Amino acid sequence: MAHGLDSVGTEFEVVSKKEDTAGFERFMAPVNSVVTIISSIGLVVASFVLTYSVASRYFFHFSTDWQDEFSVFLIVGAVFMSAAAVQARRGHVAIEAISAIMPPRANRIRLFLVDVATLVFCVYFSWKSWILLHEAIVEGYRTGSTWQPPLWIPYSLMTCGMVLLSIQLILQVATQIYRWSKPA
Amino acid sequence: MSTLSIGLLYGASTLLVMFAGMPIAFALGAVATIFMIAFMPSSSVDTITQNVYEEMASITLLSIPLFILKGAAIGRSRAGQDLYGALHAWLHRIPGGLGIANVFACALFAAMAGSSPATCSAIGSAGIPQMRKHGYSGGFAAGIIAAGGTLGILLPPSITMILYAVAAEQSLGRLFLAAIGPALLLVALFTAYAMWRFRWEFQQAKAAYEKSGTHSEILRVDDLSMRERFALLPRVLPFVVLLTGVMIALYGGFATPSETAGLGAVLALALIAIIYSVWTPRDLDPILVSTLRESTMLMLIIGMSLLYSYVMSYLHISQSTAEWIVSLHLSPWVLLITILFMVVVLGFFLPPVSIILMTAPIILPPLRAANFDLIWFGVIMTIVMEMGLIHPPVGLNIFVINNIAPDIPLRDVMWGVLPFVWLMIVGVVILCLAPGIATWFPDQIMGPVQAK
Repeated sequence: MAHGLDSVGTEFEVVSKKEDTAGFERFMAPVNSVVTIISSIGLVVASFVLTYSVASRYFFHFSTDWQDEFSVFLIVGAVFMSAAAVQARRGHVAIEAISAIMPPRANRIRLFLVDVATLVFCVYFSWKSWILLHEAIVEGYRTGSTWQPPLWIPYSLMTCGMVLLSIQLILQVATQIYRWSKPA
Repeated sequence: MSTLSIGLLYGASTLLVMFAGMPIAFALGAVATIFMIAFMPSSSVDTITQNVYEEMASITLLSIPLFILKGAAIGRSRAGQDLYGALHAWLHRIPGGLGIANVFACALFAAMAGSSPATCSAIGSAGIPQMRKHGYSGGFAAGIIAAGGTLGILLPPSITMILYAVAAEQSLGRLFLAAIGPALLLVALFTAYAMWRFRWEFQQAKAAYEKSGTHSEILRVDDLSMRERFALLPRVLPFVVLLTGVMIALYGGFATPSETAGLGAVLALALIAIIYSVWTPRDLDPILVSTLRESTMLMLIIGMSLLYSYVMSYLHISQSTAEWIVSLHLSPWVLLITILFMVVVLGFFLPPVSIILMTAPIILPPLRAANFDLIWFGVIMTIVMEMGLIHPPVGLNIFVINNIAPDIPLRDVMWGVLPFVWLMIVGVVILCLAPGIATWFPDQIMGPVQAK
């Protein structure tokens, strides 16, 4: 079953059970809450910037050159930075059709493998983002617009977000290994 | 390796990884990355992250989180109940008026919130208990809400439409306008069905009453005075103002669609602060957190879907498939039906956003070659994806309803929803016979499409 567009106000949240997670994931919890607050503020600020853009053009006939890009940076930043917080609550939707027909043990193994595969991808993506960020700083890349902000700003947010996501996944994978190694 | 075998391998590995349960965003990204490493020059693998960033860094796409913010602000307030209450007061005298009030409330709310599940839960949580209290059967009540909620992805500012506009390179403003006529058509169909079904349930209850004396609530007629009706109006007005204000900003040429998203979010936050005194950080926290969660989930799927289709087109998979479809020389209607059928099947598994971004490069060229109007097709495709939202057994809205009205058995919900699926099919057929329902309105406001 695919969970569709969204769950605003519907909250399909799985209440996190008091499981013995060996405290691994606790390391990330404060980071995630801080990131969530900053990212939320980022979204609200982006809304105000765009509103300002409409108002200033209408009332003062200012040309709008920086507002769109500034909002793009804010929103891209918010999205990537909060990726780990979403992963912490298993909020990235997946097709879970198969879980209903698999025995619980096989299912746990499947989930473990899925997490490992996701982790490998995210680490690779983080590494490539870092290379891109490094290049953007060294070469002084800027966007092609009239405002010309440096590109290291969004790239660093993307890299940082992917690194956080990778750390989150490492902790989740570690938790699963820990649970297996511990006699029940 | 030939394009055909690469293409088949690409499709097969995507299915495998997705059905293994890897989150959709990462599954798409991982498959795309592996194929880049295997089949593309290393220089393009090096720019993979730049690619994702540049595809995503479009203000049109990034307006999606702001539309979600606007929807969440309205969805979390009491606006849904108020809207519904006022409509009920005005429509309750008509047979089946309560059901119709729910359909209207869903449509209006959807136009403000732009999200299907959010509409279902906001209107349904007030509407379903009311309808049941008035003797409507559980399945009927659930069906009305599930179907009404789907209008959320059809009416502007629908996120699905934004993505279609980006993928098909069509004007977003035109697409938004084109959806209005068909949305009204669906509202009319739903309304007609609600009246008919109400009559039927009413007759049944009446017969039962005459036979055995069992009283049913559906037979009770309640009456609200004019004064009560007017007392409820002011609660709805601000939202009507928000809706029209945003529309005027967009179509009056004051704001771009993405600026409209920002403006709408600010207005929605201001309105809930003024009317419902929702403004403290504690009140706003759930709104912002759910917006952020949903946006992040959605935008990562979008970003990775774009990378996925980039790889698909770099390896000529999408072009070859599209050429192959064109070379079949199917009659236009067979082509259309086949494509729509495919969309329905994909809709069982994938959210509309990924369906659009993954299939657009393959299905749009053949449709263009067959001289279909792509704005019109966007509307049709959206309605078909709406069907995916309510189609048993996997439609998302069914589960939203099950969540807010757990006392209605899932079986009843599914049976109750089914007639609405048929009504949507009827809607699609009417639109195929009379495409003007979609294209007339944008042509009137924005002028006919410039020949390209």
